[in-house]
Amino acid sequence: MSLASHRGDRMRGKMKRRRLKSTLIYIPIMAVFIFLALVMLVPIIWLLLGAFKPDAEIIAYPPTFFPAEFTLKNFTKCMQRIDIIQYMKNSIIFSVGTTIPALFVNTLAGYAFARYEFKGKNIIFVTFLATMMIPFQVIMIPEFLEIHMFGMYDTYWGLIIPKIASAYWIFMMRSAFAGLPRELEEAARIDGLGEFGIYSRIMLPLIKPALVTMIILGINGNWNDLLWPLIMTSTSQMRTLANGLAMFVGVRTIEYGAAFAGASISLIPMLLMYIFGQKYFVEGQATSGLKG
Amino acid sequence: MNKFQNIRSYWNKPQHAAYLFILPAAILLIVFNVIPLLASFYISTLNMKISFDNATFVGLANYKEALTDARFLNSIKVTVVFTLIEVPIQMVMGLVMSALLTKNTFTNKLFRSIYFIPIICSATAIGIMFQIILHSNVGLITYWVRQIGIGKVNFLNTPGLTLGVVIAVSVWRTFGISTIILISAMQNVPTDYYEAAEIDGAGKIRQFFSITLPCIKPSFWFLLMTRIIGSMQVFDLIYTLTDGGPNFSTETLVAYVYTKAFDSGSRMGYATAMSEFLFVFIMIITLIQYYVMSKTED
Repeated sequence: MSLASHRGDRMRGKMKRRRLKSTLIYIPIMAVFIFLALVMLVPIIWLLLGAFKPDAEIIAYPPTFFPAEFTLKNFTKCMQRIDIIQYMKNSIIFSVGTTIPALFVNTLAGYAFARYEFKGKNIIFVTFLATMMIPFQVIMIPEFLEIHMFGMYDTYWGLIIPKIASAYWIFMMRSAFAGLPRELEEAARIDGLGEFGIYSRIMLPLIKPALVTMIILGINGNWNDLLWPLIMTSTSQMRTLANGLAMFVGVRTIEYGAAFAGASISLIPMLLMYIFGQKYFVEGQATSGLKG
Repeated sequence: MNKFQNIRSYWNKPQHAAYLFILPAAILLIVFNVIPLLASFYISTLNMKISFDNATFVGLANYKEALTDARFLNSIKVTVVFTLIEVPIQMVMGLVMSALLTKNTFTNKLFRSIYFIPIICSATAIGIMFQIILHSNVGLITYWVRQIGIGKVNFLNTPGLTLGVVIAVSVWRTFGISTIILISAMQNVPTDYYEAAEIDGAGKIRQFFSITLPCIKPSFWFLLMTRIIGSMQVFDLIYTLTDGGPNFSTETLVAYVYTKAFDSGSRMGYATAMSEFLFVFIMIITLIQYYVMSKTED
């Protein structure tokens, strides 16, 4: 744009025409954007609104979008039919309980790969990365048998411990630590701080955005994980929201109201987390796509 | 005390401390990734139920059985069709949307965050949502389709159509990720390239094909490969939306493996053998990815 002022009239006329053209293109593009936004939002809003409709209205024809009659019955019915409070508790224990030790284990390893020179570093790192290529479905049956043998089947331990270490997060944390200046740890070493102290007191606080990203994506991923709790738990006492609800609903449910209420209960914490931590969701996904 | 101090100062040397730092992750990755992978090859040669007792060695019989199991072959076909349709649609949509939404204006940011929302929702919630939106009698979309005059469509129970519906829901759910990843790649393209092209009189579309696309090639390839691998592993949407029906027309490989192992029969050995096919497919794609990536780097 700034270049245009240094050019002749012909150029200026061309720019003007182009600007007119771009506003003409802008309108249909805007329409497509808005249409797609509606496609994204309508099903979710419809589900949340549906949780407050009486059963008869949910299966009424023609379907309504906004509730004609507002009720909380679906939530009480949902609680009677399934132990949704217990599922909620399990979801929180599983997702938070996995993410916190994961934060420790994966940053520690990522730190070592980013900041230390040691024998066998490259081969160990490549081996770690190679575990990322193993599709979960191939190891799910052996893992299931393993957890059985450890006596951890249908317990929180069995749900949480195998999910802690992740080559993906080690890789991400290594990148986060790699950019920090060398002088920091040298100064700390001179001050007599131990290696673990340098990691935990000096370096870890400096990668806070990466840590928040990991916490948010970790909690979200485990909260929504269906297959893992489906395999690792058997009693109703141990189900999470994701697998407990899926098993309650099955395919072609008849208890729509209760299903809507349950699904809304499972969605709302994640939607809130997204609204307040959107930046981290987006950044986390964006950096995962950049190779480096 | 003195001995303790010796140990302490030994492990406090950076080159030694490093091993302690990677130890917890190494143990967990070995126990829960490497050993299960090795064990899977062995388990695939066994005929076994839910525990190791009564397991009998059957050699490659499980693999042979898979190759003649019509339901297994069908599940591979479904997985391949799903991947071949879902991934291109998703990539093209991601490319177009990210090209249009690259600039960090307020409206662009707003649209980006809306398109991203389904990604944070669980497959369970999405399954419940679309089961009723696409319900054969009272579904919202079914109703609209009828209003336009297409007639009554049973979206979730029509062989042939239902797989398309699952693909559409899958695109709905994940194209936001592709968009976000491609946007961040496009934002990294140096702006003076575009300024130079502008002076040369190249239009926006020309700029997209001659500058943007070549510049984002590494990210594009990476995304394409991860999307292919992800699509081949699709399970949760199938489980919550159709459970493989109607008539196994949406039963993917992973859904079938899950059913064989945990739902009916609990044939652990056979299910593991089938999952090894997935392992081979994904290995091949990963190798292609490394090959292409190492070529684009030069």
